[in-house]
Amino acid sequence: MRAELSTIQQTLTPEAASVLTRSIAEAARRSHGQTTPLHVAATLLATPSGLLRQACIRSHPQSSHPLQCRALELCFSVALDRIPGSNPSPSGESGALPEPPISNALMAALKRAQANQRRGCPELQQQPLLAVKVELEQLLVSILDDPSVSRVMREASFSSIAVKAAVEQSISSSISTPAAAAAAVNTPSIASFVTAAPPSAASRFLGLTNHAGPRHNLYINPRIQQHQANDGSCIPAAAAGTAGDQPRTEEVKRVLDILLRPKKRNPILVGDCNLDAVIKEVLQRIQSSDAQPPLRNTQVLPFAKEIATAAPDHSQITIKIRELSSSIEFMIGGESGVILDLGDLKWLVESPSVSTGSGPIQPPVVSEAGRAAVQEVGRLLRRFEEGCRVWLVGTATCATYLRCQVYHPTMENDWDLQAVPIAQRSSSLFHMFPRVGSNGVVTSSVDNPAPVKGLTGMGATALPLRHQPRTNLCAVCMENYERELSRLVADEFLKHSTKPEASQALPQWLQLAKLGSGGGAKSPSSPLQSKEEELLWKQSTEELLKKWCETCSRLHPRFHHQSHVGFGSSLSPPASKPSSVVRPHPRCEPKLTLSRGLSPPRLESSQDAVAPPGSPVRTDLVLGSSKASDSSSDSSHKDRLKDFTGCTPDAFSGQQQRAKIAGISDIDTFKRLFQGLAEKVSWQQEAASAVATVVMRCKSGNGKRRNVGSKGDAWLLLLGPDRVGKRKMANALSELVFGTGPTTVSFGRGSDGESNVSCRGRTSMDRIVEAVQRNPFSVVVLEDIDQADMLLQGKVKQAMERGRLSDSYGREVNVGSVIFVLTADWLPEELKSSHSSLLRYEEKILDSACCGWELELSTADMPGKRRPSRACDDDRPTKLRKDSSTGTGLSLDLNLAVGTDAAEAAEGSRNSSDLTTEHEYDKGRLSINCSTFSLAPDLAELVDEAVTFKPVDLGPLRRSILESASVKFAAVMGKGRAIRIDDDALDRIVGGLWLGGASIDDWAERALVPSLKQLRDNLRADRGVVVLRLSTIKGNRAQQQRRSDGDWLPAAVAIAIDGSHDKGFL
Amino acid sequence: MGIVEEAHNLRVIGRADGERGTIVLAHGFGTDQSVWKHLVPHLVEDYRVVLFDNMGAGTTNPDYFDFDRYTTLEGYALDLLAILEELRLGPCIFVGHSVSAAIGAIASISRPDLFSKLVMLSASPRYLNDVDYFGGFEQEELDQLFDAMRSNYKAWVSGFAPLAVGGDLDSVAVQEFSRTLFNIRPDIALCVAQTIFQSDLREILGLVMVPCHILQSSKDLAVPVVVSEYLHRNLGGKSIVEVMPSEGHLPQLSSPDIVIPVLLRHIRYDIAV
Repeated sequence: MRAELSTIQQTLTPEAASVLTRSIAEAARRSHGQTTPLHVAATLLATPSGLLRQACIRSHPQSSHPLQCRALELCFSVALDRIPGSNPSPSGESGALPEPPISNALMAALKRAQANQRRGCPELQQQPLLAVKVELEQLLVSILDDPSVSRVMREASFSSIAVKAAVEQSISSSISTPAAAAAAVNTPSIASFVTAAPPSAASRFLGLTNHAGPRHNLYINPRIQQHQANDGSCIPAAAAGTAGDQPRTEEVKRVLDILLRPKKRNPILVGDCNLDAVIKEVLQRIQSSDAQPPLRNTQVLPFAKEIATAAPDHSQITIKIRELSSSIEFMIGGESGVILDLGDLKWLVESPSVSTGSGPIQPPVVSEAGRAAVQEVGRLLRRFEEGCRVWLVGTATCATYLRCQVYHPTMENDWDLQAVPIAQRSSSLFHMFPRVGSNGVVTSSVDNPAPVKGLTGMGATALPLRHQPRTNLCAVCMENYERELSRLVADEFLKHSTKPEASQALPQWLQLAKLGSGGGAKSPSSPLQSKEEELLWKQSTEELLKKWCETCSRLHPRFHHQSHVGFGSSLSPPASKPSSVVRPHPRCEPKLTLSRGLSPPRLESSQDAVAPPGSPVRTDLVLGSSKASDSSSDSSHKDRLKDFTGCTPDAFSGQQQRAKIAGISDIDTFKRLFQGLAEKVSWQQEAASAVATVVMRCKSGNGKRRNVGSKGDAWLLLLGPDRVGKRKMANALSELVFGTGPTTVSFGRGSDGESNVSCRGRTSMDRIVEAVQRNPFSVVVLEDIDQADMLLQGKVKQAMERGRLSDSYGREVNVGSVIFVLTADWLPEELKSSHSSLLRYEEKILDSACCGWELELSTADMPGKRRPSRACDDDRPTKLRKDSSTGTGLSLDLNLAVGTDAAEAAEGSRNSSDLTTEHEYDKGRLSINCSTFSLAPDLAELVDEAVTFKPVDLGPLRRSILESASVKFAAVMGKGRAIRIDDDALDRIVGGLWLGGASIDDWAERALVPSLKQLRDNLRADRGVVVLRLSTIKGNRAQQQRRSDGDWLPAAVAIAIDGSHDKGFL
Repeated sequence: MGIVEEAHNLRVIGRADGERGTIVLAHGFGTDQSVWKHLVPHLVEDYRVVLFDNMGAGTTNPDYFDFDRYTTLEGYALDLLAILEELRLGPCIFVGHSVSAAIGAIASISRPDLFSKLVMLSASPRYLNDVDYFGGFEQEELDQLFDAMRSNYKAWVSGFAPLAVGGDLDSVAVQEFSRTLFNIRPDIALCVAQTIFQSDLREILGLVMVPCHILQSSKDLAVPVVVSEYLHRNLGGKSIVEVMPSEGHLPQLSSPDIVIPVLLRHIRYDIAV
């Protein structure tokens, strides 16, 4: 401890160190266990001409009474007596008492002092810690910050905050220039001067921010106030009458009074209307002969106009103001003064140059010009300070004034401004109560809020709460309180009177910072300081009020009682006596409250406590907004359907609206849709009709209502074997309804090669969600849903029920207006049995069409040249056998099946030339087919409609191909030659045509005819060949890769005649 | 209820004693207090919760909307201060979404005593790009936006809502936002939007001394993620940034599952020193 103490001593200036030593000695003398801030405070107080004593005297309104300080001393000694002594050291050696160690609180105070000291001296900042010596003043300030000290001081009815302010005041003045110091010396005179000013001046002091105190809420939107006034059935008519008669005299008087004051004498009218009128009247009054002495013979300079003529460029403004300054000097000459009419202060916070008229509102950028102007005017004012011959008047809306405070934090002080709130005229409320105890000066400025609020139904419960502190003062105490308050004001004035100098001098380091940041960037700490001061001020006034409340309740319990009773109805004179600064919610220990009371547990302290809510409360509302807000014009539905491209909600709501006007247009739409579908999928007329019906029904809002959330979604289940038909149906539907292609997610053996397993990390569900998200107005095809795993089917089912899809991350997306088309191969038993051959053939066709294949022409008398094709033919029976076996319901383990599928997919064997592999694949696929054949039963029930596609009979198509080919052949080759088309080749052509949707004639013309022609040329000499054979070639060649989309047929036919074979394709 | 309270549809709910403090929830552009519907149920147990509508929201009386007062954000800040003054609830935790975060910041500069901390959700000090600042918008884009608003408000709403919320055109969140957006009188909406998009708080960020919790969607049309970093660096007081894996400018509406826990955490806990 001892060593530590010596270290501490080194950080203090000799003065401060001696104080500490004496405190320790005092603690030792009282045999206290520790040396606390109280000891230090007592020691500081004990020095007769000490700083603390002086500060206390200055801070205390009744400073003239030396007994006050005596009381403080007593309080401290009592407090010290209360400190429990340490276990009285049994050792008898009284001479060398062990020095009581420094308490934590005191240590903290010392640290604070040190920090403050270093902050205050920029030149010392780089030096090692020890080089900074804490001066006595700093020590004092930090001691005053100590809660225990401030408590004791309060007991003696001193505000430690006020005292601290006084100390800081003296510190700043000692740092500042001699002139400021002189001002500080002049304290008494100035103070007494200001004391004359009524207490509400104090509120002015803080500008706008404090006005919002208990009186009337300055922040309120004037329109609301106006409304309030207009509302005013509750306003006594008589009062309203007087208010109406009374012109703006009150405000004018107030403004004039401010002009007459020595400090804070430049009124800025803050309000949202009638400002100009008031200003005009004020200026008229001044120029008239009955103005009071200092204001007589003053001239009014329309400063705003001068500025307005100056270019927005700030250098010009500076020059302009300087010019003005010299002309003012000239004008001031004899007894006359000059009033600068600043006009609306808006130009300070808005750059005037950028308003280009019609353009959008420009961002409120604070121009350099504004800043320059603030500085220049401040300089100007300082220049004419001593004569008190130059005044500023101006107006500002609440918003402007707030912004001035924010953007030009020093302006209020530099310009010596006084905000004067001007109430809405129409809200004549503020004149209806006679001003009790209006002492003629600014007191009347703010109005009696209590009655106003009471009358206008302002929260009646809040009323007593709000005004209790004030109203609880009896007349005597009120008077005392006000006197104290004015004293406080005096101090505050004093502090600020050093400001003009201090604005440069006070925080030296701040100035440096300002320079460092190029002047442009504002130093954030300077406004902070003023804010702190404000806060301080507020706190000190509060403390004062509280003190007097307590005193009053102690001394005059009777009054207290009365006032309580009578408050609601009548306003006793003292009660209405304003003391605008008061912020009555009791905050007795502001420091403590701020630092301790409010801080909840730290963020890090217990992360586990942050249990995220298990299930956030969901309140999904059914919102028919698009429907409700729809006032769409009745354009014809055809147009609407045409416009259906993508996400035009209008079109959609139009569709919805059909529910209301379900009539002829509905039928039109239906017809269009049906015709479109039937055209595309001509062989499935019934299905097309069913699909069209369902879609129309759903889109008109009459779909099966599975859920409450969504409205526009539709779920179609296309059943049956006709893969191509289903796909085409979906395509056509999407084109017709939304004008875009559908998004297909395939779960089965899909020819797209997509599989059920995740594709690039995204599951099929993700793909669905993505599709929905990308375009909520589209058709999403879930192909072969019956082959999807149960999990996915479950999810789809859920989506139907809830109207929302969730992806693998659990993110949910509304299904919106998507039409979901599910396809499945399932077919009712009776249909299946009756059409088994058709089914098988379709299967075969599809398979054959899927593989890469080419056609070639050869002479028929060269048999068996192409083995692969024969092998393929041979292969078929096996497959058919397998196929038929599926009908019997072979069931396999689902997991196994999927595994096989995945393995197959990995091999990518679809297009492999290895026939055995392909065969294997087929087997695998088939087994899957039968295993997942079960479509979740309720899936079929949940969908809006299940449309069954009949098995297609491809026979006619086949026949027409044969016919067409023969016709072409005959046309090219002439008579005498025949063509034989292999079954396999024919099947493949059928499949290709069916899938691709091209017409046989087109294809024949494009692919077959050129080859035939070439062949004809080549064969001319060759008499012997009469029969040509069209067969498929598979495997070996390079053309196994899938043809470009939509082109299922070979673009050319190879010629494989001896000698010409190598020519290959055309 | 006083006129101010009434005009702002002010509601004070939850614990009457406000034992753990008072929370003021302020909504952003195009919404009203209902935007907090997911959050409020989690707060009422512990806090006194103050809900109100900004002037100009669809639920407020358009007659009160003063086109002069609300050409700058200060007008809204004054409203906020008026409310807090009226309520006299002492320092509050202010949760502001979007523009309201900015409003709260402005208000906190002139009355730091009324705010114990600011929770800023999807806040931006400036939406326009600048030489050394990326706000996400170019002036031309904004002009287009304003033109679109002027020419056909309804069409604009139906386009803007899904954009702002973030995809998912017909989700409940988009519908909800469309609803509140559409409730606003078009001329008022235009004025408000102009005020917001042309606002620039960068200069005064340094004056905000109240601790700020900056919460931000990882994908937000209106506020790029860098903006939250900018706020963090330039705010005068302590601040903390959390970028949430949510999308859109109204994450409290569109992804409450993600956002509400984060919000609650930041409401309950202070920035550790």
